[in-house]
Amino acid sequence: MIKVSVNGEVKELENDLNVSEMIEALEYKVKGFAVAVNTTFVPIAKYSETIIKEGDEIDILAPVQGG
Amino acid sequence: MRSISWLPYKVDKMTKHLETDNTWEIGGKRLSSRLLIGSALYPSPANMEDAIKISGSQIVTVSLRRQAAGDNSGNAFWDIIKSLGIEVLPNTAGSHSAKEAITTAQMAREVFGTNWVKLEVIGDQYNLQPDPFETVKAAEVLIKEGFEVFPYTTDDLVVAKRLADLGCKIIMPWGSMIGSGKGLMNPDNLIAIRKQFPDLKLVVDAGIGKPSHATQAMELGYDAVLLNSAIALAQDPVKMADAFRVAVEAGRLGYEAGVMKEREFASPSTPTVGTPFWHQFKE
Repeated sequence: MIKVSVNGEVKELENDLNVSEMIEALEYKVKGFAVAVNTTFVPIAKYSETIIKEGDEIDILAPVQGG
Repeated sequence: MRSISWLPYKVDKMTKHLETDNTWEIGGKRLSSRLLIGSALYPSPANMEDAIKISGSQIVTVSLRRQAAGDNSGNAFWDIIKSLGIEVLPNTAGSHSAKEAITTAQMAREVFGTNWVKLEVIGDQYNLQPDPFETVKAAEVLIKEGFEVFPYTTDDLVVAKRLADLGCKIIMPWGSMIGSGKGLMNPDNLIAIRKQFPDLKLVVDAGIGKPSHATQAMELGYDAVLLNSAIALAQDPVKMADAFRVAVEAGRLGYEAGVMKEREFASPSTPTVGTPFWHQFKE
């Protein structure tokens, strides 16, 4: 198991999950989101090749109101 | 509709409007409304929807935020915006560095399916003043990555110049601090930017509090205004959205019509020839 920070909260994940597997493991249900790992954008096309590591800081963002 | 041969447009007696081509172009889109509207701070989603509709706006700003994993509330908001069928302008609000703004813009492009981005990098927490150095740095990267950058900046002419030099076709100087409603703090600075960059699309963004502020910005020759709080925080946001619609139109028409030159002295508008009650023999 590894410890990561997801949207500011510490979470435990299995080793060697890619981004798609991480989203599934987190049971993230909000549709229309985008992912950044350590403040770097991870496009959908790179989900499978991006492996989550110990200490990674993950941001999953979804549409909200804005000015 | 009657036609007057010497006028370049038709006069409609019923609507009192001149029939002119009032469309304009920004970011590769041809639009008729010059009011860009924010989607935040409304009393309810239904109120937001009504206000956006009545404003006639064709560009609405949106954002990205963290949401709880099991939370579906983001969908309802996004579904309303999508149903309006207007352009979305994602912002990078909350960014404090070029890096954060660039990442947010890249994420927004994927989520919202647009290369438009309102680039907003905050440099001071007290007055939410844009950080010109980080804004310029981020704009350079985003333009290279194919974004249509709408940079939110101060009314500093040199910052506008740097952004224009990088290839920004749109610049959005502030009227005053975000959410302050103070109107145009430095109209002279805004005029200087307008005069220096006649070919750029200029939008006054932030600080507008009432319809007359929007009219003033349009009278200065700005191409559009972007506002949120002034409508959303009004006692009746829907009615205020309607007020801003006509205020922006009025300002634009006033600019196109050509405002009279100011004079230092009074000058009567009623003819002086034939003024009554004056008789030479009384002198």
